[in-house]
Amino acid sequence: MIYLKLFLEFFHIGLFSFGGGYATLPFLYHIADVQKWYTTKELADMIAISSITPGPIGVNVATFAGFKTAGILGSLIATTSVILPSFIIVVIVSKVLEQFKHNKYVRSVIYTLKPAGCGLLAAVGVDMFINNINIPGMVLLAGLFFASLTEKRDPLFYLGVSALVGLIAGFFNLTG
Amino acid sequence: MEKTLYNIFKTFFKVGTLLLGGGYVILPLLQCELVEKRNWINDDELCEYYALSQSIPGIIAANTAIFVGYKLKKTAGAFAATIGITLPAFIAIIIVAKLIEEIIKWKFIQSIFWGVGIGVVLLVFLAIKEMWKKSIVDKFTCGIFFLVFILSACFKAPPAALIILSIFIGIWIEYQKKIEHGEKQE
Repeated sequence: MIYLKLFLEFFHIGLFSFGGGYATLPFLYHIADVQKWYTTKELADMIAISSITPGPIGVNVATFAGFKTAGILGSLIATTSVILPSFIIVVIVSKVLEQFKHNKYVRSVIYTLKPAGCGLLAAVGVDMFINNINIPGMVLLAGLFFASLTEKRDPLFYLGVSALVGLIAGFFNLTG
Repeated sequence: MEKTLYNIFKTFFKVGTLLLGGGYVILPLLQCELVEKRNWINDDELCEYYALSQSIPGIIAANTAIFVGYKLKKTAGAFAATIGITLPAFIAIIIVAKLIEEIIKWKFIQSIFWGVGIGVVLLVFLAIKEMWKKSIVDKFTCGIFFLVFILSACFKAPPAALIILSIFIGIWIEYQKKIEHGEKQE
């Protein structure tokens, strides 16, 4: 039953992804490996599109992956189930806010979860770097990286510049 | 503006629509909409919710919205905020997803995606850098980082298993501290 599977996969993403905007990516790559609902190439395109559409990127990409897997109903299930753990956890934490803030176990778990979330994303970052980038891509990435060192810019700046460079590179058949 | 469920929904729908390029802009956006324009919460509360949202699982922008919704109108408010922040993302993708299957065949669209894909790699790098600064504070956290990184990158361990593992490590550390502390007191 594809819908139940979708629900379970995306519920567990919402429950275990930790550390912000891109923290859902390790899980989505894992799904591509295990469930074969979409390829990693398709996922890379979905992430690119999600980055330039309105809304939190985690929600965008879940909706997209659900759509790819099982159409509109699939996207509805994926979106609902990725957000459901957040809803439940936030409501519970809000009810016991003071205890939550001062609980030593909570603090200790956050202390160990933060580097774990970072490690998961780093693994995805390395994977994206090795598998999806040709030589012209490296040049673009290096350029963007140096631009990021000089000053803090809006994410849309990098996406806009790289879209433009992609368009130009396409004319010279550099995009592979 | 009155704190009705509809207004809560509308406010977060607007925030969700303006949220572009990842959830990092959520804080200034909420500051403008909730603190300055509507006076629903103050700066301190907002910063606290944002910090809390980073210390629980899930999408940070959504978590923050749900915290604010709960503060305004309890569980019903949390629900309105959830729908509000999620719906624009959902609608946008539904519209785009149908279209994309057609236009992805066009050469210049593929070129643009190639470029944006590389932009995303940079954003992922920057996210890792930010997380590193906030999370790797000593040798122990550095150890957890490399443990998770290697298990994930080299052995393709399921991400959820690694998260559960680090939850247990966190509980175990605190438990050890408690035992040591207890022994000292005796």
